[in-house]
Amino acid sequence: MAQFSLPANSVVNPNGNVHKAPAGAKDVRSFSIYRFDPESKDKPRIDTYEVDMGSCGPMVLDALIKIKNEIDPSLTFRRSCREGICGSCAMNIDGVNTLACIKASAEIKGTVKIYPLPHMPVIKDLVPDLTNFYAQYASVKPWLQTRTPAPPDQERLQSKEDQEKIDRPSACILCACCSTSCPSYWWNSDKYLGPAALLAAYRWIIDTRDEATGERLDELEDPFRLYRCHTIMNCAEACPKDLNPARAIAEIKRKIAERKQ
Amino acid sequence: MSAYEFVDHSYDVVVVGAGGAGLRATFGLANSGLSVACVTKVFPTRSHTVAAQGGISAALGNMGQDDWRWHMYDTIKGSDWLGDQDAIEFMCKEAPAAILELEHYGLPFSRTEEGKIYQRPFGGMTTQYGTGPAAQRTCAAADRTGHAMLHTLYQQALKHEAQFFIEYFAVDLIMENGECRGVVAIDMATGKVHRFRAHMVVLATGGYGRAYFSCTSAHTCTGDGGGMVLRAGLPMQDMEFVQFHPTGIYGSGCLITEGARGEGGILRNSKGEAFMERYAPSAKNLASRDVVSRAMTIEIREGRGVGAEQDHIFLHLEHLGAKVLQEKLPGISETAKIFAGVDVTKQPIPVLPTVHYNMGGIPTNIHGEVVTLKNGNPDSVVPGLMAVGEAACVSVHGANRLGSNSLLDLVIFGREAARHCAEVVKPGKRHKPLAADAGDLAVSRIDRYRNAKGELKTSKIRLDMQRVMQNHAAVFRTGESLQEGVDKLDKVIDSFGSVSVSDRGLVWNTDLVETLELDNLLGQAAATISSALNRKESRGAHAREDFPNRDDANWMKHTLSWVDGRGKVTLDTRPVHMYTLTDDVEVVPPKARVY
Amino acid sequence: MSLRSPLGKVLGAGAAKEGAHHWWAQRISAVGLVLLAPWFLLSLIALGDLSYINVHDWIAAPVNTVLLSLLVLAVTYHAYLGLQVVVEDYVAHKGIRLLVLLVIKFALLIMGVLGIVSVLRIAFTGNH
Repeated sequence: MAQFSLPANSVVNPNGNVHKAPAGAKDVRSFSIYRFDPESKDKPRIDTYEVDMGSCGPMVLDALIKIKNEIDPSLTFRRSCREGICGSCAMNIDGVNTLACIKASAEIKGTVKIYPLPHMPVIKDLVPDLTNFYAQYASVKPWLQTRTPAPPDQERLQSKEDQEKIDRPSACILCACCSTSCPSYWWNSDKYLGPAALLAAYRWIIDTRDEATGERLDELEDPFRLYRCHTIMNCAEACPKDLNPARAIAEIKRKIAERKQ
Repeated sequence: MSAYEFVDHSYDVVVVGAGGAGLRATFGLANSGLSVACVTKVFPTRSHTVAAQGGISAALGNMGQDDWRWHMYDTIKGSDWLGDQDAIEFMCKEAPAAILELEHYGLPFSRTEEGKIYQRPFGGMTTQYGTGPAAQRTCAAADRTGHAMLHTLYQQALKHEAQFFIEYFAVDLIMENGECRGVVAIDMATGKVHRFRAHMVVLATGGYGRAYFSCTSAHTCTGDGGGMVLRAGLPMQDMEFVQFHPTGIYGSGCLITEGARGEGGILRNSKGEAFMERYAPSAKNLASRDVVSRAMTIEIREGRGVGAEQDHIFLHLEHLGAKVLQEKLPGISETAKIFAGVDVTKQPIPVLPTVHYNMGGIPTNIHGEVVTLKNGNPDSVVPGLMAVGEAACVSVHGANRLGSNSLLDLVIFGREAARHCAEVVKPGKRHKPLAADAGDLAVSRIDRYRNAKGELKTSKIRLDMQRVMQNHAAVFRTGESLQEGVDKLDKVIDSFGSVSVSDRGLVWNTDLVETLELDNLLGQAAATISSALNRKESRGAHAREDFPNRDDANWMKHTLSWVDGRGKVTLDTRPVHMYTLTDDVEVVPPKARVY
Repeated sequence: MSLRSPLGKVLGAGAAKEGAHHWWAQRISAVGLVLLAPWFLLSLIALGDLSYINVHDWIAAPVNTVLLSLLVLAVTYHAYLGLQVVVEDYVAHKGIRLLVLLVIKFALLIMGVLGIVSVLRIAFTGNH
């Protein structure tokens, strides 16, 4: 049966360490952050950090970095570009999957609650194991497949209108916010490819330069790989780049249905 | 030291870094039949190439007449005649084929009405050897060209079934009698130390922008390859040349592409004046980046900055109209909204020159082979070691890089490195056994820092370094301020002996990794500021107020800098290559640089 | 613990090359329900007198016989498709899943056949 209860060693202790703000701090915000150290025998816990927002940048990532720099260097999370393009700092903030670097702390009411992306194995603190997610991406063969040789000394031509169709879908940053917000993915991530990989597949299915549309659709036509999508739409809701994987999946289903007629 | 047992690997070639250059090299090598591993500290599509916005230059001539020789001329002029002309010739000539290759890989370039690759104007890109109108040479995929390129290259690496070691942090090179035998890396997920033996190590580790307080660079841009090279006793080149991008968002430092000005954006001061017309009468807002950054700095200094503190400049895009902004600059519209709270269709973006790119790096020849000055030979190849991309200094950018030449640098020299390896390394060649102490340097450093019990947090020392660099090695420099900076940085480097690391774990110990990164940054910061103090002229991005003119007689040469374990810098020089690779083009002799 | 490669796990046994039919059938049966369910309810309301004899006669009218049979078919088929998805979503154990699916299948088959036979019997026997 689906497992609705957590294994005993992953029940979260809600009362972890509390780090008080320094005296004299005026604009104090509390950040409750999921902590898990795989090398200790302790259960995961929620640590609370009081941060002086007067000396902190506006984004949640700024606060995380401030905490790591000034309060607790052991706090572990991924980050890189800090401008919403690399997709490293995807996490669950205030109940929503998003990128910490473009989520303003001021947009959140009360204590800022930060957890790793849901329903993924946690390596440490806010760092999930994305191996399966990346393998799903690789499984859709996300590269141009052609049989017509490329014209020598020239690009493959593509009309502006056709390019515009792939422009948005190809802007995916593989942050995994969408897939890990999808209940269908939570229950069946071993077989359902999830919105991110399907969006990547779609990007190539509609690329007019690609000549493997049929094979791509063949590989997706499966009760689990594709049809586990129940149009819940959490993916489109979660995407920090305002992409719409749900619509891409619907388009794939439509294309498969159409070719049978 | 039993906590660290080596996990050993042997490959023909090991690439360190999975940005544009590293990935291009990796799948090129995989395709050539060599066994190759790519070791990277972040998942490939998180590398900082992803943040490049405006585009990649090549004289395709899709939007008007163009010629690779004009591109070469512009690049040499942009470099303020410090670039090696053989390398620049090679890059500009190969550019069109390399871009078409990317298109054939499926890169989603924006298109012209005829369905060709869309090209936009960019700073310093002209026609007719600088005498014609601005060139439209920068191939773009909206304003996320780097993203499109990095993802395309990663996809090709997947297609070629390249072997990756992801989230492995490279710690040190394995050097044996002046030859590179491999590299040691720590697997962040387990804390295990891996020893990669290779006939060739290709460093593609990117720049070290994080040596500065305010930069457009990612947190991960810590120049790890440069750090490894310095510890191996090899020099860095032209480290004083640090590019300030004119348009980093005021406050956050996030990048607003030069493409914004390429599409018609205008910089204005507090009087509303389009001041670039005074500094660069013909190129105006599309002058080279060093020129624009200096002009902005002067405007601010002379009291014409905008904002409450009069300490920044406005970039206006409103006049372009919502449609152009949506079609050509969607990404920066979003970035400006998030990081400056500005609606670009209605309001200007507050911007400030921000550290963006390191022209300097590991000196290499045009094949990517690392070179050093040895027994009087300035082109002495270091066996077993290559460098490509921002980590390297070929040098195609000289004293100042032109916008959209960096993505080009990545693919050209990433590809060339792979091609050259395939030529010099025989697949499956037997490896000699490593020396008994191979990797000990890395392990001793890992162990020392993981158990460091000093009184200064890594972040504190890093901030001290960043402040020194920001204040003393900025857009304008003076001997006095640089000397002060050198002294202050010495103290910061000394304080690194008292570093404290509080995470003692092995799994995903980012406290340790940040400390190792800081070690890499410190050496390069020292090389940068000492080289800057040493160069008594103004050239490209290096603007000395006490030496305001270019001095070709004494300074048309590359700076080499060695840094020892205590931050002591030794300097020397290499000649600039004032010759071309073939007879297809003439050498461009130095002349005054006016835009 | 499996040491199979991540990509190997994802590729698994390959695509089943089906699912489109299920997806399509679920939508077709849903359209049927959208049309037939209101028809059925409105007809009963219009009938007013819901006595045994009155309803019996209403069912026996040919158009009603056909549409009611189709409604039973659509309800049971759609219910089966929907329940199948729920079971596939939440029941991970293959054996149990197969068992539950078979039970549901037979239960709904019996219900469907029973419903349709009942309607037909009313239509064809004419006895009250």
